[in-house]
Amino acid sequence: MGRRLVVGAAVLVGLLVLGQALLVAEVDPRKLVEGLGGVFRLVADGWPPDPGALPTAGLAVLQTVDIALVATVAATLLAIPFGAAAARPRSGGRYLSAPVRAVAAFLRAIPDLVWALVFVAAVGLGPFAGVLALTVHSVGMLVRLFAEAIDEMDIGPADALLTAGATRTQVFSHAVLPELLPTLGSLALYRFEQNVRSSLVLGFVGAGGIGFQLLSAMEEFQYRQASMLLLVLFALITVFELGSARVRAALR
Amino acid sequence: MVSALFTVTGLRKRYPNGTLALDGVDLAVPAGELAVLLGANGSGKSTLLRCAVRLVEPDAGTVRVGDTELTGLRGAALRRARSQVALIFQQSRLVRRRSALDNVAAGALAHHPGLRTAFGGLPVGERARAAELLDRVGLGELAGQRADTLSGGQAQRTAIARALAQRPAVLLADEPVASLDPDATSATMALLRDLAHRDRLAVLCVLHQPALALSFADRVVALHRGRVVLDRAASDVSPADLAAAQVAAR
Repeated sequence: MGRRLVVGAAVLVGLLVLGQALLVAEVDPRKLVEGLGGVFRLVADGWPPDPGALPTAGLAVLQTVDIALVATVAATLLAIPFGAAAARPRSGGRYLSAPVRAVAAFLRAIPDLVWALVFVAAVGLGPFAGVLALTVHSVGMLVRLFAEAIDEMDIGPADALLTAGATRTQVFSHAVLPELLPTLGSLALYRFEQNVRSSLVLGFVGAGGIGFQLLSAMEEFQYRQASMLLLVLFALITVFELGSARVRAALR
Repeated sequence: MVSALFTVTGLRKRYPNGTLALDGVDLAVPAGELAVLLGANGSGKSTLLRCAVRLVEPDAGTVRVGDTELTGLRGAALRRARSQVALIFQQSRLVRRRSALDNVAAGALAHHPGLRTAFGGLPVGERARAAELLDRVGLGELAGQRADTLSGGQAQRTAIARALAQRPAVLLADEPVASLDPDATSATMALLRDLAHRDRLAVLCVLHQPALALSFADRVVALHRGRVVLDRAASDVSPADLAAAQVAAR
């Protein structure tokens, strides 16, 4: 009897929460139905994709990928030492872990789009702002993932070298890093994939790449150009996911 | 009497959970001797070896190698002293993705501080020496093979070669044959005895099997509840002595 009451109350609370969410988010199916025509018109206007947009698209795609590439490489190189510092200390005398983890948590809590706004203000419009934004956010993500990978690894080989008189740096480069490399490589590749997608969105706030072209085309009602850009983008992301999945499988 | 190379005096260790693992252990192993340490589970054998290399910090007592006292050392001095004492674990603890040769050469890192080795490089001369050591343990042909493709016995012999690469005066082995088949067990024990007798190392080996101890050891030491209850030349030890020392594995 009491249990039923509790379940009933829980369902009621759940419905109320969902109800307020629908209201606050201004969910209105009528608007969707009315707007569907507009969506179809947009699609129709965008057909066929304009091959004339290909040269610009090619360059913009290259920029998008390059932003992601530079940011991922920079973030990986930074995240290896900081990830090691953030790993759970196994012996006393290391107080770095908590502060490094806290800074990393802050870096990744702020969305890359917000970082892009910050860096566009700092270094001006263009791809470099995108590189900085993605680097900072990726460092926050990778430090955590690298630290977790180190926490979970077998410390036997590291202890063996430590008791043989090796320095901590030697232990890290000779026992920890070789064991971790496949995991780190796989995490960095996955991050690269995500950075390619993010780098696209960063274009919307002026941080370079294909997103910027897409926004311009939409604003100038060049829907056939926009659809060409989207097509190139789709091809790019598909190729990426396939390639990175293969490389990650080979790393294992 | 020969002056002992490896000396443990009054070693005590109580773990945070209250277990008294070592209760004033005195032990001395001279150069050229293979001493076997016997004892039931929880008698303190592994703790003794771990305290000896300061992988576990003892509460009281001293550990000496020759004239050097390990207890109380820090930093570079501790690393130098540690390189004098090689510890072989129950599992080989090799870096799986590296070759047998690279694993062995890494044993010598303590002798080569500096940028090259800090960034993962191995000193050239040590690779040649690692190849010799692999020959010595009978694995010369497998030098290039990745560690995770070696059999248990091969991996353990590679670990012994790695221990030798650090140029130790003392060799400590913590149940090195626990996961090996009978042939690999005999080969490993014979190698340890050879290292004591031919290379004049002080070898202290923890074992679970009293019979194995009697057939290979020069001296048998038994621990019971953190205390030494038997310490005698192997030729003078009878099965009754071992029974009295309660060293049987449980």
